[in-house]
Amino acid sequence: MPTIDLDYNELERLLGVKVNGDMEKLDDILSYVKSEVKLYDKNAGTVNIEFKDTNRPDLWSVEGLARALRGYLGIEKGLKQYSSCEPIIEINVDKQLRDIRPFICCSIIKDAKLNDSSIRGLMHLQDKLDKTYGRSRQKTSIGIYDFDLITPPLSYAVAKPSEFSFVPLGFTEKMTLSEILERHPKGLEYGHIVKKYPVYPILLDAEQKVLSFPPIINSNDLGRVTEEAHNLLVEVTGTLHQTVLNTLNLVTVSLIEQGGKAYATTIHYPDDPIYPAKKVVTPNFKNRSMNLSVDYTNKILGLQLTGKRIAELLLTAGFNIGTTGEKTIEALVPCYRIDIMHPIDLVEDVAVAYGYNNIEPLWRDLATTGSAKPERRFIDLARELMVGAGYQEILTYTLSNPDSLFTKMNCEKTDVVEVVNPKLVTMTCLRNWLLPGLMEFLSNNQSVEFPQKIFELGKVTFIDDTCETKTRDEEWLAVATSHVNAGFSEIKSVLDAFFMNLGVPWKINAGSHPSFIEGRMGAVIVNGVNVGVLGEVNPQVLETWKLENPTAVFEINMQQIVDGKM
Amino acid sequence: MAELRENEIRILAALDKLDGKASTEKLMLEVELPDAAVMRSALILQEKNFVNVHAKPETKIKLTPEGEIHAENGLPERRVINAVIALGGKANLKQAVQEAGLEPQFAQIALGWTQRKKWATFDSKNSMLQVSSAPKEGNDEKLLNALCGKEEIPMDKLSQELQAAVDMLKKRKAIIVEDKTNRILELTKIGKQAAEESSLTVMVGKKEVTQLTPELIITGNWRNVNFQKYNIEAPVANVWPGKKHPYLSFLDEVRAKLVTLGFKEMTGTSVETAFFNFDALYTPQDHPARELDGIYMVKNPEYGDISAYAKAAEKVKATHENGGATGSTGWGYKYSLQEARRLILRGHGTCLSARTMVNKGLQVPSKHFSIARVYRPEVVDKTHLSEFNQVEGIVVDEKLNLRDLLGVLGKFAKEIAGADKIRFKPDYFPFTEPSVELSAYKEGFGWVEFGGSGIFRPEVTEPLGVKVPVIAWGLGVDRLFMMRAGMDDIRCIFSQNLDWLRRKEVA
Repeated sequence: MPTIDLDYNELERLLGVKVNGDMEKLDDILSYVKSEVKLYDKNAGTVNIEFKDTNRPDLWSVEGLARALRGYLGIEKGLKQYSSCEPIIEINVDKQLRDIRPFICCSIIKDAKLNDSSIRGLMHLQDKLDKTYGRSRQKTSIGIYDFDLITPPLSYAVAKPSEFSFVPLGFTEKMTLSEILERHPKGLEYGHIVKKYPVYPILLDAEQKVLSFPPIINSNDLGRVTEEAHNLLVEVTGTLHQTVLNTLNLVTVSLIEQGGKAYATTIHYPDDPIYPAKKVVTPNFKNRSMNLSVDYTNKILGLQLTGKRIAELLLTAGFNIGTTGEKTIEALVPCYRIDIMHPIDLVEDVAVAYGYNNIEPLWRDLATTGSAKPERRFIDLARELMVGAGYQEILTYTLSNPDSLFTKMNCEKTDVVEVVNPKLVTMTCLRNWLLPGLMEFLSNNQSVEFPQKIFELGKVTFIDDTCETKTRDEEWLAVATSHVNAGFSEIKSVLDAFFMNLGVPWKINAGSHPSFIEGRMGAVIVNGVNVGVLGEVNPQVLETWKLENPTAVFEINMQQIVDGKM
Repeated sequence: MAELRENEIRILAALDKLDGKASTEKLMLEVELPDAAVMRSALILQEKNFVNVHAKPETKIKLTPEGEIHAENGLPERRVINAVIALGGKANLKQAVQEAGLEPQFAQIALGWTQRKKWATFDSKNSMLQVSSAPKEGNDEKLLNALCGKEEIPMDKLSQELQAAVDMLKKRKAIIVEDKTNRILELTKIGKQAAEESSLTVMVGKKEVTQLTPELIITGNWRNVNFQKYNIEAPVANVWPGKKHPYLSFLDEVRAKLVTLGFKEMTGTSVETAFFNFDALYTPQDHPARELDGIYMVKNPEYGDISAYAKAAEKVKATHENGGATGSTGWGYKYSLQEARRLILRGHGTCLSARTMVNKGLQVPSKHFSIARVYRPEVVDKTHLSEFNQVEGIVVDEKLNLRDLLGVLGKFAKEIAGADKIRFKPDYFPFTEPSVELSAYKEGFGWVEFGGSGIFRPEVTEPLGVKVPVIAWGLGVDRLFMMRAGMDDIRCIFSQNLDWLRRKEVA
């Protein structure tokens, strides 16, 4: 979930409501837009806000957040219409970018009154948009420049990685594009996006001066924005035209809110059907029209709202209304509300404006019969029997590691479901038996009173090519008794009693298993099928787990036994 | 005259012989009875006012086997320092250890202490120790000397400076400190009379027994004996009954409630396809939750099989790309069927709801729930686990709307959380719209976020072939359990502490 630092005083000023540092009050207001205060830093005068909705980048600036909330607070209704002046520069796009990063959108902001705080806010918004909506610059990336240093027209072109060079932001010497990917921190972070292509994107002005190497890094000469910059150029490149345009609109709108005046740009695209047109003018603040049916709204909400009332609620939620009929309302969706994909999104905003707590909950007695999964009863009986035998139930992680599952158990490694991206060395794969988890548990309790008798009934996972997920989960049961006199006959008595009470005839066959003492273990046989093992744990294994007492155990496949009983 | 058992009579006689006053230890030797028997008799004699028992607590210090070695040969660091001095004030650690004849297990300890006591400088590059002069004898060494060859020394016999060294040697496991209570028995006046009366020995009436035996019962001889009275307040051994795990018991309870409310349990595998975990739930394929720090990817096998859902998959693809037939704009990107087959460890229980919805046998109306182990690549801490359980489910019916959704949540808050008040807030999930967060208020606990819920988006239900509204809900059971159990660390759910499990109340 995105979190944003905002200037607290500025937020209060733009909201037009005195919160007086009462964060509960602010939380109540923020709940309209699914966000909440994470941290209020009184000294720094900032408030850190978490947004649950990842599709609302329009809220990620103090102006945008205030714009949305003012509607709910009844201060300002409807959408905010932004505009830009006629195009003042042109950008030519190279056709070789088609399969690399084909789209660019651009705007100019004049007389932006930047100060330290607003530059920080702008950088913050840029960073969040790049990371979240831009999918870590894969989909879109933003560049902001001092417009007065640039000579139009611009060209969005390609360059050869090892031949073309310029001075990247934060460095003093010229580097080739390849060197930037190898040595510049941003190159190392984002290089994978372009590395696979023979040529890389580059943005140049009319004097062939480099603005940036999208989506990696700006140039040190033109790509630096300070408080002295009066006029800014904003550019967004990416792989989807609508996303690129949305991003440009969001940044431009935020700068207009800070007092700037926006000017458009004309983009000249190659003649290719992937582009929306040969000539595209950006930004584009045109509202979208979406029809909302009154019946549909009431059906979803369980209310009886009139068309007029729905229209009022839409205004509160920050939309404009086109034509309002009895049955259908035309909602005008502002360019910055990129989250509106379907009329259902409008319905929710109507409900939020109406107030969830003003809607009366309804519990309908539907004619349904409840039931637990079929094997549940048998599994619960098994757990009850173990409890009756004096064993404590334990719960351990299903994530384990080959060292615990095999090496420490004195076993050969077999195939288990491993993950690509473990967070901990102890959690790299799913367990395929339970006993190692019991050993670990005992090993963590060597100072606790003996005898120790524990069991776990839980899932283990195997690779199985015949299943949809190429894996199979099974419920297994493992039982351990550990104390000075623990031994084979004790644990065999327990399994005997267990199976007798479940009405399962069983026998034990001699066998051998490296985790057990030779001649003191056997295979558990039910219906002629091997369903598990029983025996005294090999001292080699006890020593590895640092267990100081003899330990006898059994582990059985409950799934097989349950399936046999059902 | 009082009736006395043989043991008491012997002790009275022994005390008399020992001038009317003796410690229990001395008496043990004199009457050749074990400690417990002497104590028991002493209590009986005290009750009858034959003796006074004076208790005197005492702390004693004893050498451990390791301490004995040090007391004999000197502390390891002293031995190494002496060796270095013998080698000219500068020597390699290994060499010094050899010269000192130090047992190998003490080598590292010795080095550590020379540094801690600042007796020598150590250059770790070439492992050289350098000593300028022999350090003077420390209190710890003095104490060891004092203990050398002795069984034990009472703490109060030690000088103040030696007492100061006790903690240090205790930590080094060179000594043990034992708290003991010495008991002195002293004959009272009537006790002395009783001891001197020759008639005492014949005062024994019925034989006194400790244990009622089968033989006594069968022969009827129990009539002819007295049963020794127990000190019924004496502490007894612990019994640890077998118990279910507290968290699993709680889940059992939740399951039973849901079944009573008409919900049917759904099950599935821990490994899931990205199709059911994400795509079918309208989460775009480039969503950050699908990156390596959002979901566990399976190394091998990499891809699952979704051919049984080919038709649904085509519709999901169209919906993601351009909204398909749902009336949505879609996400506007190129959907990959290969990516849909990617195997992951399921990140939430909602994939089970997706599987239930795609099933042609889905009944209207119906209610379903799951209790699923789910996985997220999180660093485990007080509030995060890498795997945990989710309780989730759906309600399917033609007439469902937001009021029903609030009703379902309200029912859960009352039945499962036992809430006094509830409150709803707007919430966000990629797969539901509208979405609602439920907070439950419970006296003594305050407001707790207890669940999230919503109506599945048309982009979810329609491609899966579901024509009616479906309410999806999830409950924060972990938080509820922690609240009930009074825990503030989520790791307690998978507690490795047997003692905690044994002592946890079941109620």
